[in-house]
Amino acid sequence: MELQKRLLAGTPGRLLMTLIMLALAIVMVMPFLWMISTSLKTPTEVFKYPIEWIPAHPTWEHHLKVWTGPKSFGTYYLNSLKIALIGMAGATFLSAFAAYGFARIEFKGRNALFMLYLSMMMIPPQVLFVPKFIMFEWAGIYNTHLALILPGLFTIFGVFMLRQFFLSIPHEISESAFIDGAGHFRIFFRLILPLAKPALATLAIIDFSWQWNDYENALVFLIDERLYTIPLGLQNFILENTVDYNGMMAAASAGIIPMIVVFAIGQRYIIQGLTNSAVKG
Amino acid sequence: MNNHWMRRQRRLGYVFIGPSMIGVLLFFLIPAAYSLGLVFTDYKFMNPKVGFVGLDNVTRMLHDKLFYLSLKNTVLFLVAVPVSIALGFVVAVILNQRIYLKKLLRALYFMPYITSGVAVAFVWMLLFQPKQGPINGFLRGIGIDHPPGWLSTTTSSMFAIDLIWIWFLMGYNMIIYLAALQEVSPELLEAAKIDGARPGQLLRKIIWPLVSPTTFLLLVTGMIMTIKTFGIIQATTQGGPGNSTTILSLYVYQNAFRYYDMGYAATISWALFIIILIITVIQWIGQKRWVHY
Repeated sequence: MELQKRLLAGTPGRLLMTLIMLALAIVMVMPFLWMISTSLKTPTEVFKYPIEWIPAHPTWEHHLKVWTGPKSFGTYYLNSLKIALIGMAGATFLSAFAAYGFARIEFKGRNALFMLYLSMMMIPPQVLFVPKFIMFEWAGIYNTHLALILPGLFTIFGVFMLRQFFLSIPHEISESAFIDGAGHFRIFFRLILPLAKPALATLAIIDFSWQWNDYENALVFLIDERLYTIPLGLQNFILENTVDYNGMMAAASAGIIPMIVVFAIGQRYIIQGLTNSAVKG
Repeated sequence: MNNHWMRRQRRLGYVFIGPSMIGVLLFFLIPAAYSLGLVFTDYKFMNPKVGFVGLDNVTRMLHDKLFYLSLKNTVLFLVAVPVSIALGFVVAVILNQRIYLKKLLRALYFMPYITSGVAVAFVWMLLFQPKQGPINGFLRGIGIDHPPGWLSTTTSSMFAIDLIWIWFLMGYNMIIYLAALQEVSPELLEAAKIDGARPGQLLRKIIWPLVSPTTFLLLVTGMIMTIKTFGIIQATTQGGPGNSTTILSLYVYQNAFRYYDMGYAATISWALFIIILIITVIQWIGQKRWVHY
């Protein structure tokens, strides 16, 4: 009786709350919907009000414009993919390597070095832009992809996050391996890395999204249009087509949709990783 | 297992952290030291003559009206952080209740955060278009005859940037709060309910204090992150109209790579560092006083 009453009272309220939250969520993603819808419209339909969410005369023309021609997004895509993938793989491995050292080996000066390492997070990138620009120019990697890839191999957040994870793995695992005569290298590659797969996946996805979205570094270190990554290509497209709103939105879709796909696939990992490093940190 | 072997194993620690330490040295420590040196020079890119100018750059900064304006704009930009935290908290509390479609809703609210960057900035630029844009179209539709000019007027531009930033950060704050709410013990809430606490009291007197460490963390990390950003502003307004959205980080970028005034840019960037340092120190002190563990 009591249970039934509560169920009956609860459900409409629950449904109402769901509907309210859903409506707000749709407002949150409206910019994306508007972007996609606009990219498929004809120029005269762009600013029609009330908004026609489903274009009356859908056209792929703007997407074609973005993807073909001398300044095709194909080049930018390949550049972005190259930088993001190399950076992601390198950063994930190097972070795991360092995190293992910080979490599971007791060597002299470890804690001091770790504090020093973490304190680097406080240095704003603006402090580093000018000297890096001068150094990269001197080393001959300014205006090459290496200027983005090399610094991208190191992520302080990544070491921090994986260290947290490695600390949570019981120490007995290492001890019994030691007794069997295994050294740190073998323990790292054979035991810890396989155990850390979910954490590694998390870091890899988050790092990929950072590298893919990185605009500020690309802005400072790349000038050659052939080397442009998606954010720069997008900016270029928009500067050159200031009145082509449909084209702009088709170009923006090209930059955003891959991230939405990555997010849809790796959602669980991304959310888990961000929460773990924040709450337990 | 002899001692010699164990000692060698322990020394392997340096091998493991070695590559990352070299990275920190090359891309953080050396550039930072270099940058500190630049503060005392009049180094300009393409100009081979570099002179030692002592504290001239610092004096110049302290008399630079644009520096103070960007400082003010930075503070205005930071307002977005507590607002997005408050909204993130409210959404997290509601999603933590019994509600349908929890996972879908969580994903939708979080989506802006993952798609950061210029692409989204350009979408907002069109949405905010003052004459024909859909946002003002909507506002006129509901009877507001003179909607704001958003990014196009000096009085509203920073406000519009804040809105984009709140939209961007909110989902992240929500995710972190959702995790923190998992730690709030249901027994405690149940006990309070039995003692006659109303939902509002529950929220204010129990849940909010219990998640205060999270609030604090979000406040500090959010502020530091916001101070470092300039991408969305560079993409939408380039600091305009009339410097009304020039924040400090963007001002550094402009001095360095538009005017090639590297020494001065380095000086302002260290002012930025000092602000971050102050926030971090306040975090250390405040954590003990305001946060309930």
